Amino acid sequence: MEMTEPITWTCTGCALLCEDIQVHIKDNKVEKVEHACLKGKARVYGCKHTAISTVDQAEVDINSAISQAAEILEKAKNPLLYGWSNSTSEAQVAGIELAQTLGACIDSTSSFCQGITINEIMNGSIPSCTLEEVREKADVVIYWGADPMSSHPRHLSKYSYFPRGELRQRGYEEDRTAICIDVTQSRTAKICKAMFFSIPPGGDAEFMRALMDGLAGRVPKLSYDFDVKRILELAAVLKKAEFGVIFAGLGLVYSIKEEFDLILEFMSTLNRFSNFSLIPMAGHFNMRGFNHNLHEKTGFIHRVRFTKNGPVSGVEYSVVEQLKHGADAVLVVGSDPLASLPLSIARRLKDIPLILVDPCANLTTRVADVTIPCGASGIEVGGTAVRLDGKKMDISPIVQGDGLSDEMVVRRIMEEVS
Amino acid sequence: MALDVGKFIKAPEYDIKIITHRDVFQASACEEDRFGDECQEMSALIVLDAAEMKRMGIQDRANVRLTSNWGSVVVRARASPREEQKGMGFMVNSPWVNTLVSDETTDGIPAFKDIEAKITISKNGITGIQELLLL
Amino acid sequence: MAFAVALLSRTKQYTECPPLMEEDKYQDSRQKLKNILKPMEGAEETGLIIHEELCSGCGNCVVACPVNVANDPHGSGRGFGPTNEKVIFRVENGIVKAANIKECRRFGKDRILCRACIDPCPTEAIEFV
Ligand code: SF4
Ligand code: SF4
Ligand code: SF4
Repeated sequence: MEMTEPITWTCTGCALLCEDIQVHIKDNKVEKVEHACLKGKARVYGCKHTAISTVDQAEVDINSAISQAAEILEKAKNPLLYGWSNSTSEAQVAGIELAQTLGACIDSTSSFCQGITINEIMNGSIPSCTLEEVREKADVVIYWGADPMSSHPRHLSKYSYFPRGELRQRGYEEDRTAICIDVTQSRTAKICKAMFFSIPPGGDAEFMRALMDGLAGRVPKLSYDFDVKRILELAAVLKKAEFGVIFAGLGLVYSIKEEFDLILEFMSTLNRFSNFSLIPMAGHFNMRGFNHNLHEKTGFIHRVRFTKNGPVSGVEYSVVEQLKHGADAVLVVGSDPLASLPLSIARRLKDIPLILVDPCANLTTRVADVTIPCGASGIEVGGTAVRLDGKKMDISPIVQGDGLSDEMVVRRIMEEVS
Repeated sequence: MALDVGKFIKAPEYDIKIITHRDVFQASACEEDRFGDECQEMSALIVLDAAEMKRMGIQDRANVRLTSNWGSVVVRARASPREEQKGMGFMVNSPWVNTLVSDETTDGIPAFKDIEAKITISKNGITGIQELLLL
Repeated sequence: MAFAVALLSRTKQYTECPPLMEEDKYQDSRQKLKNILKPMEGAEETGLIIHEELCSGCGNCVVACPVNVANDPHGSGRGFGPTNEKVIFRVENGIVKAANIKECRRFGKDRILCRACIDPCPTEAIEFV
């Protein structure tokens, strides 16, 4: 077999956006991919069932599908534009412009994910850092309600635990301490060995308070059974950290979302004694990009409605509330809400006009009134994206697609409505 | 009319709290083929503490029905290789577990990771992906 | 006995024992031996086995293996994919592949009982038999 020269690629399999992937291409097809994890490999090879242009579930040409989409959105009084975490920033910006043109609501998957954390980081209330800093400097890392070994497979090997960094030359065993706080012994917890702290579901807030007590030299109190000595030991490890990082997973975010200020209090208490940053474990490759792009345009990171008096934001404009009561037409770009939202909420998508823009056929395409296929971001379509730590990354396409990009689809819809 | 007693003897039901998580193998299988058998096998699955399963009379690999106030699905039960906290079940994020999640939210964030449900042995087959769409 | 030692040290395969393979009266023994040696199928000379179906391609072993670090300090040692051919582990198509096994610290005259690829593996995909 003749050897092909590999292309260096940035993987869009998750928000870690690994930039060292080598892809071998032959005849415009991926032949081999090196260094990507299994998830990245699945991403680069693409889905088995690609989407086709449809109106009312019958195949049509793409122009008719786009026209039909424009008509639905124009007619709607309260359209919702949703998805966006699997799109390049360029497509997201186009989506935000379309929302403005339509006077629509726009929201992303971050609405029920890491948005709340990203917001506090962007407004400076929670200190954060880059993954490069983690690699070069971090000596104590905490995976809290997070299991990167299952969600972001190269997290530990590329940045947070195993690599040798500028200040961490002797390897992970001597130079770094990895801690895991979770409700089950996850794959990540297994690697943290004795530094795994098993807490009951919903026990995060109490554990956080106990840890603050420990830091301040008070005896921690907990309503659930937990060896207080271990909390004091953990507090001592945190105090000694030169450069500590907390990776906040959804387990933590969901558990304390009702008293989210506690994280702020915890970080400031921790930083009276030590030096800690926090990085949210955003999942989809450009979830954080949507927050940055919308913020630039409106001052809000998600859940926005464009009104005559300008953009407003609030829980009533969240995808969940809009689907429950509000939206009378929905455009979904790069997401599968019927699979990823509670069915009790997503079911309503079957009753309102629904347009889906996606490279792949998914559950939602089965009920969509209009489906418009687009090129896969990072495979057929290039652009930029924002990594989970906030760093902007370039994404270049690796194969030539024959369809439109999601950005082009959105722009074509915009041309037809305005 | 003869009374069909068996009809009234229901398999016992147990309360369970379901925690969702991610899995790289399932995510990869579903990215490749959302409608494939592999995606379904790795998604329509609940992992329980082995001793708890024994107590509930559920055998490893048995089909179980999970029911919450919002929906009901049949999935496969598997014993966890390690000891788990009592009364808990673990499921990978997927449309199957999402059928059980409440629509009640005050902050726009559904209770994805904190699902109260009942579990019982089921003679039915695992709910297929096409059936989920009809629920 | 010499043959048995060769079997266990993997310089000979049980299929290389002609009477065992040919004569029917050894059928049971053949099956038994096959079962005993099963875990060693696919093992390299050092005894390394990779259970590919368990591997998620996370790269922990790639970055943690001391041979990878020594032979590719600016690539694997720093968390990136390997930048040369001198490493033991690299990830291809989402699954780890092993090469240059003779460099493994468990091999040769100064061998040590290294576990730097076994312990970091989240799924127990690496085993030495
Ligand atoms: S960790 Fe994420 S970005 Fe890196 S190769 Fe795997 S899927 Fe791609
Ligand atoms: S045992 Fe040690 S030297 Fe040998 S392959 Fe594993 S990590 Fe590398
Ligand atoms: S550490 Fe285990 S799962 Fe990760 S790449 Fe190596 S063998 Fe595969």
